[in-house]
Amino acid sequence: MHDTPPVPPRPDGAGEDHLVRADLLTGLVLLVLGVAIVWMSWEMPRLEARRIHPATVPGLVPGLLGIALAICGAILTLRSVKVAGDGAGWRGFGGQFVTNDAARVGVTLGLALGYALVLVGWLPFWAATAVFVFVYIVVFERGFASSPHPLWRTLLTAAIQAALVGVIVSLVFERGFLVRLP
Amino acid sequence: MFEGLTLLGDGIAFFMTPQSLFNVGWATLVGIIIGVLPGLTATMGVALLVTLTYPMPPDQAILSLMCIYVGAIYGGSRTAILLAIPGTPASAATALDGHPLALAGKGGLAMGLATTSSALGTLVGILFLALLAPLLTEAALNFGSYEFFWLALFGVVISGRLTAFDDPIKGYVAGILGLLVAMIGMEGLHGFRRFTFGVPALGGGIDLIPAMVGAFGLAEILVVMKRKVSARIVDASDRVVPRMADVWKYRRTTVRSGIIGTLVGIVPGVGEDIGAWGSYAAARRKSAESDRFGKGSLEGLIAAETGNSAAIPGSMIPTLTLALPGSAAAAVLIAAMYIHGIRPGPMLMVENAPFLYKVVAMLVLATLAITVLGLLLTRPLLRVMTVPRERLMPVVYVLCVVGSFAIAQRMFDVYVMLVFGVVGFFLREMRYPMAPLVMGIILGTLLDVNLRRGLALSNGDLSPFFTRPVSAVICGLIVLSILFSIPVINRRVTSLIFKTSAPKTGSG
Repeated sequence: MHDTPPVPPRPDGAGEDHLVRADLLTGLVLLVLGVAIVWMSWEMPRLEARRIHPATVPGLVPGLLGIALAICGAILTLRSVKVAGDGAGWRGFGGQFVTNDAARVGVTLGLALGYALVLVGWLPFWAATAVFVFVYIVVFERGFASSPHPLWRTLLTAAIQAALVGVIVSLVFERGFLVRLP
Repeated sequence: MFEGLTLLGDGIAFFMTPQSLFNVGWATLVGIIIGVLPGLTATMGVALLVTLTYPMPPDQAILSLMCIYVGAIYGGSRTAILLAIPGTPASAATALDGHPLALAGKGGLAMGLATTSSALGTLVGILFLALLAPLLTEAALNFGSYEFFWLALFGVVISGRLTAFDDPIKGYVAGILGLLVAMIGMEGLHGFRRFTFGVPALGGGIDLIPAMVGAFGLAEILVVMKRKVSARIVDASDRVVPRMADVWKYRRTTVRSGIIGTLVGIVPGVGEDIGAWGSYAAARRKSAESDRFGKGSLEGLIAAETGNSAAIPGSMIPTLTLALPGSAAAAVLIAAMYIHGIRPGPMLMVENAPFLYKVVAMLVLATLAITVLGLLLTRPLLRVMTVPRERLMPVVYVLCVVGSFAIAQRMFDVYVMLVFGVVGFFLREMRYPMAPLVMGIILGTLLDVNLRRGLALSNGDLSPFFTRPVSAVICGLIVLSILFSIPVINRRVTSLIFKTSAPKTGSG
């Protein structure tokens, strides 16, 4: 079992170099988070007035977990700091955020957050859903890919799919599962 | 023994109704479609569809979710064989031999053998589930707070260790983060609200379902959309229904892989993907044609598919008897069981003994359904594979939002889903496994309450945590697991073992 990696190698062969820098930053964040949690757990009321057993204070387990997290953060940081010294590597790490892949993630995330945080609640649910699905399809089929079909066809099929999804999801959840949609 | 058989018979008879069979049919089909579509995983499917089961009676709801789970793990093989992209992570090992077989014009044979292997793997696992679960329940009835504390910690540690094999510290970090998430809200011993920062909605804690929908839904959408994929479906027009001779020829591999898959499934938080890799590696070591592995070996394909499917019933063993999820999808099933008023754990056999055998019956029905649907629906499933992700992912995301909202009909759960989705995506990109995070969220309360209750019972004395036999064994396993993840110790021990075993092999 152990001679085969449980996680298959990534097809894009993502370089380890920027991962080391990501580990360094994550390590620091985890270290700070761990220490903050330990402090908050220490400050948590001990409920002496309720005469609880001192070994059962609410901050006990979060405090222990905070210590464990801080230790893991410190190990990650120390392990990465040895490798992550040179400036060129940091430029490569920063470069990860300006690739086409990053743009695809950014746009997906922007659309997803826009739908959940702005459109839902502002428009009726079915309309919010239809607008989101339509924009999503058009952006990714025309903006990030060269679709072999003419623009009118993309717009038409996206509009039909968007309307169908908006109406069907609303009907199924409102009528079928009696959910009061936002 | 006979009582068990009677209960199993009753379980199967219970589901022999048109409504149950209808649920088996649609749920397995939906599961297979989820598995076939790259980017949709079994855990995500089960988490998203929990919402659909709210209006159902408990048995029918769990039956549907179980069929989705089994269907999705099986469905992933189709994409692995024809597209070389695993439909779910559980099928990654299947792609190694399945795709070369398809390229060699044996796509039909590969799909057929994947179907029979999945069915046989599930059956091996079912056998172990029916035999082991009652025994484990009996043992677990004697467990106290001390044992449950260690079990909860064991679940998180072992899951962290095995799902991040190359870099265990990332598995441990994911597990600790999950445990910390479980600390949010009102704690179970004194009713004190922790880490709520004045937000009333946090008082009830973070619900597992929206967290899972985020970590396995939105995060997965972002991962899928990140990369441009150009894959071509291989034409497979040869015979799909496999010959008995082909199945019989590899019977040893099937049984071995079934047992390995089941054992991996039993390990908490370690699921089908490792079941498949474990069986595949063992089959390659034992095979007379090991050089064929990775180039289109039928044995490799059978091992991977048997292993991942056997892990499903295997994962149900700790899930039902200890409430310790055997896999990430099983964690969602536990949440779904609670929603439907079923309490998994040692008391299940006391309070609701027939339910355990109903789960066995559900798995038998799901196995039959994947066999029939998998062999019959070859062409329609090919069409599913061609759905472009630009068209599919917005719909999946809408379901993520509605699914999270529908649980308590509040936007707070949608925000939870968004946070877990974004954080989950970045963690995945930095190779942190998600399973320990889930294990932490579901086991956090068990760990917290049992540690403090144990300490209260022993008046602050730690010794019962180390002197009671079962506690001592689990504690030892945890310590060993952590020690072996320290590279220096691991290297020393490995070299020591090899040094002592080398002369033996040399002289023998």
